[in-house]
Amino acid sequence: MSFTLTTPSGFWNPLLWLVFLALFGIIAYLIYSQGNPSYKKDTEQIKPYLSGNPEPTKEKIQVKAGDIYWGFIEALKGYYKVLQAIHTGDMRDYILWYLGVGAIITFILIGGV
Amino acid sequence: MGKLTNFKRSLWVFHASGGSCNACDIEIVAVLTPRYDAERFGIKLVGSPRHADVLLVTGAIPRDFADKLRRIYEQMPDPKAVVVIGNCGTTGGVFYDSYNIAGPIDEVIPVDVYVPGCPPRPEAIIDGIVKAWLKIEKLEKELEGKKE
Repeated sequence: MSFTLTTPSGFWNPLLWLVFLALFGIIAYLIYSQGNPSYKKDTEQIKPYLSGNPEPTKEKIQVKAGDIYWGFIEALKGYYKVLQAIHTGDMRDYILWYLGVGAIITFILIGGV
Repeated sequence: MGKLTNFKRSLWVFHASGGSCNACDIEIVAVLTPRYDAERFGIKLVGSPRHADVLLVTGAIPRDFADKLRRIYEQMPDPKAVVVIGNCGTTGGVFYDSYNIAGPIDEVIPVDVYVPGCPPRPEAIIDGIVKAWLKIEKLEKELEGKKE
């Protein structure tokens, strides 16, 4: 049984790739074994240097999509506070709002005539 | 002075300024200028304690900076040495016993070499670093002994 897949542009052999990966692993281990033996795990040595300041948590340094609109939301927070309270996520509520507001507009337009 | 035998690579130095008036820091810069040119001996200032063999500390160390200095010291790989530059770091100087001072530096991190002066001359700083170099050689031999 042949493992080699021949194509017009070359060939593919998984066994050859396994040999390559094993060689790569050996070379990687040799490089790793030459590392600093005095390296201490679970200490400040493994953390990045931030001018001596403690490393913040990933959640704290993560830039969220909402951060882009922070100023906008902060400036209009009075409006958003009300809007978020009525924003239930229920389609029936929105249809009710749609019909309610539509009825008021219709009443104003027709009733005003 | 002892002969450098074991520590064969260049000595990289990190400078932490803790509440210094800048006089010591300027003298450290003078060590690197063409007149003294410590870099020709491989003594080089680096931007991260994680790359450094020697920590140069100046200033009397305000309380707010003490934990940062401890963190910087802990981030350095072994073997390492600490050199205090100037009177403020050595004894507290004119700031001794001040309410907002955590120093002298040896009360915050272990110190290997003291270079007193206000500020010390560049020759004294170079001498201090060479002493730290000898200390690191000794520590490296100890580490190699442990490894074997």
